[in-house]
Amino acid sequence: MQVLIVDDSQIMRKIIIGALKKCGVNDIIEASNGAEAIETLGKQTDIGLVLMDWNMPTMTGIDAVKKIRAANVKTPVVMVTTEAEKEKVIEAIKSGANDYLIKPFSPKDIQSKLEKFLQST
Amino acid sequence: MKAENISPFIESVSEVFRNMLENTVETGEPTVDMEDEGVPDIIGVIGLSGTAQGIVALRLPVKTALAVVGKMVGSEFRGVDSSIIDGVGELVNIIAGNAKAKFKGHSISLSLPTVVRGSIYKLNNLSNTVWLTVPFDSVFGPFSVSVCFKPAVVSEKEDLHASAYSR
Repeated sequence: MQVLIVDDSQIMRKIIIGALKKCGVNDIIEASNGAEAIETLGKQTDIGLVLMDWNMPTMTGIDAVKKIRAANVKTPVVMVTTEAEKEKVIEAIKSGANDYLIKPFSPKDIQSKLEKFLQST
Repeated sequence: MKAENISPFIESVSEVFRNMLENTVETGEPTVDMEDEGVPDIIGVIGLSGTAQGIVALRLPVKTALAVVGKMVGSEFRGVDSSIIDGVGELVNIIAGNAKAKFKGHSISLSLPTVVRGSIYKLNNLSNTVWLTVPFDSVFGPFSVSVCFKPAVVSEKEDLHASAYSR
C-alpha cells in the first residue's frame, strides 16, 4: 500500500516515515501542505492512505480533506495532529477524515491505523 | 501562576517520551524564577493564546538535543543542523499541543515555534509573572520545561487544575 504523508515539518515527515518503515511500509510519498496533497492525489491513483497534518501553510489539512471529499475522492485520510481537543476530532470526522491520530504517537499507534485501513481495502 | 498549572506539561513530556522516544523521564522539583538565564542550550519557545495566555520553553543542552532528535528520526547527529533545530521546534510544538488539550474548558491556540540557540540570552517574563521550570532527566540527558502564564487569565479559571485531570 502506498501512503501519502502530508506535513509541513520535514522532521515530522521523517518521524512518520520511520514509524511506517517499522511497520513494513516502504512505498511512501510526501507533500508539505494540503494543496500539494490534493495535487498528488490527482496524479497518483494507487495511494491507499493519507496521513494528514492539520496546521500547515498554503492550505490546512482540514481544508484539504474538505476539498478531497468534495471531489469525491474516497482515499482514507487519517488526521495526524497535535489538535487533541474533542471538538477538533468531531470537526475532522464531519469534514470527511476517516480517523484521527494525536501527536505524540507511537509506532504501534501508526501500525493500528495501517491495519485498520489495510483490512478495509 | 498556580504551580499545579505545570502538571499538564509534565504529563505531556512523559507522554512524548513514552510514545515517540520509547523511554521514560525522571521529573525533578519545579523551581520558580523571575527570569530564565542561559547556559549553552537549544531552546524551543512557543506562545499560547486564547483563554489562557503564556509561553512554553523547552530547554535542552546540545548533547541532549542531538540524542533526542536522533532517536526521533532514527539517525545519528554529530552537530547542530537544520534537522536539530526543526526537531526541537517540533518537540515543543507537540509538548505544548498535547498539554493544551488537558486544560478543559479553555480554548488555547499555539503560535509558530521559535528555536533559540546559544549561551548568552535572558528570557524575560511579563510583569507580575514568573517562570515555573521543571527539570527532567532521561537516557538522552537532562533538559527542562519552563512555563510562564499571564495570571489575570489563568486565575479566572479556578478549576483549571481540577479540569485538567477530569478526563
